[in-house]
Amino acid sequence: MEKAGTDLTKRSIWRTLDIPIIIAGFLVILPILGINRTTDFAIFCIFVLAFNILYGFMGRLSFGHMLYLGTGAYAVTLFSEHVSGNPLLAILAALVAGALIGVILGPIIVRTTGACFALINLAFCQVGYFLVLVAFSRYTGGEDGMSAYFSKMPLLNFGNKGIVFGFVLFCLVLAYFFLKKFTASPYGVLIRSIKENETRVKFLGYNTFNYKWITFIISTTVSAFAGALSIINYGYVTPSFIDPSRAVEVIFAALIGGSGSLYGSIIGGVVYMAISNYLASYIPRWEMFLGFALLIVVFRFRTGVWGFMTGLFTRRRDALTR
Amino acid sequence: MSANPIIETKKATIRFNGLTAVDTVDFRMEAGEAVGVIGPNGAGKTTFFNLLTGLYTPTEGAILFSGKDITKVPPHRRVALGIIRTFQLVSVFDSLPVIDNLALSTIRFGENYGGKGKFFFANVHSQRIMKACMEKLEVLGISDKADLMTSELSYGDKRKLEIAVALSLNPKILLLDEPFAGLSDSEIGEVSVIINRVKKDLSFVIIEHKISRIVDMVGRLCVMHEGRLIADGPPNQVLCDATVREVYWGKEEGLTCSV
Repeated sequence: MEKAGTDLTKRSIWRTLDIPIIIAGFLVILPILGINRTTDFAIFCIFVLAFNILYGFMGRLSFGHMLYLGTGAYAVTLFSEHVSGNPLLAILAALVAGALIGVILGPIIVRTTGACFALINLAFCQVGYFLVLVAFSRYTGGEDGMSAYFSKMPLLNFGNKGIVFGFVLFCLVLAYFFLKKFTASPYGVLIRSIKENETRVKFLGYNTFNYKWITFIISTTVSAFAGALSIINYGYVTPSFIDPSRAVEVIFAALIGGSGSLYGSIIGGVVYMAISNYLASYIPRWEMFLGFALLIVVFRFRTGVWGFMTGLFTRRRDALTR
Repeated sequence: MSANPIIETKKATIRFNGLTAVDTVDFRMEAGEAVGVIGPNGAGKTTFFNLLTGLYTPTEGAILFSGKDITKVPPHRRVALGIIRTFQLVSVFDSLPVIDNLALSTIRFGENYGGKGKFFFANVHSQRIMKACMEKLEVLGISDKADLMTSELSYGDKRKLEIAVALSLNPKILLLDEPFAGLSDSEIGEVSVIINRVKKDLSFVIIEHKISRIVDMVGRLCVMHEGRLIADGPPNQVLCDATVREVYWGKEEGLTCSV
């Protein structure tokens, strides 16, 4: 008993100091990338985390996650336009909108698995794209998008880029903290078990449908959170925030980082953004190189960058203790 | 027979695109009974289990548990009633540590994590939950392997783990689907000892291919053939039955029917 307790609760420094390490990591890249890009990277990492809870942990790959990001982006803008300019309330409204879309679409979507799950998400994303681009263009500004104006808060003046960065980093840590808590709980074991063998989980006495639905809602809510923060950062929303063809970005990032880990999501988010930001400025058709990078990851580093690194460390430790 | 069987099927039938996998099976067993289900490959034994546990809903007929109709009750609710099964192909979670396999079943019916909200927030590796899981592993004698990844276990140890998981769900009736398949002789011995030890406290049904392995373990044998229940009774009586001998060994073989 002693042994089991200590071995499983004993964590590497990477796990016990994870939040300081994430903050330090972003502070290190801050002077290299500049404040706008670093903020952008951090927001994207929140989106990858949201995607990964569904894909990496529960094994459900979605091709339509832009819909949930876009829901948050449009919710925060429309709220600031029509209800209140208070940015915190607007973010809250975006979270509610994200949760709501998960609650409504969840029962239809989580029934499916595999290709069907991926495509039904994409189908809903197409519908959402059409709605903001054409059907509701009167309210959303259609192709041109619309600007979002937020009132100044006493301590949170979002006109100041430094404060936006600090706030976004805080939000990333918050999202990470909650998802870490979830995935380390019995619920975390449950969703990983669903990934491996859903039928078996039913025969452990769990109504898997409910838990898949809950996971879906968590994912859509956190995605909407990322969408809302993007608007806080940029100050305007365009249909590109809900564009189905951009769904591939978050999938690439999750695969690069390593699909079953929260750390991996953040590393994948940063690496993907670095490739897409910097490669793009040197090579016009940078997507081809991203494709090659992904091929290498899929064939050579099955568990992603983070999985590969932890594998390397544990192997070395095993070799030393042997 | 008493009026209150623990589980009962009434003309249970299931068809898949014209193939009748289980054909009008009337089966009943009392609480505390130990029943063996035997039959050739494709006789419908596993499908019959799938009907009892709710993986399939019968095309016709009814399934009763303690007198209540459970024909349409989904699997997870039947587990809550105490109908627990194992699978023919051992079914544990390879990507989890061994001990984590027990977490879900231990929490489900144990009072080990305090409150519903804790399901999402309690650390699964807390002393409290792990201690309860460890006790379940000790019963099966594989507690020394708790920290390994499940994928590193031998097939026999995985089978023991699966039985540990099943037992931690507090079964009233335990359905074991070929628990000895793929095990070495020594592992079969170990698993038999475990089954014999736990069967006193519950009702159980065991599917097996080789009659000799279970004949001492069960008080009653049911023989399935082409979806039908063709014989049902004490082992020695069933094994002497002419129809059973024909489907099981063919006409020619001159096996004696003394058991």
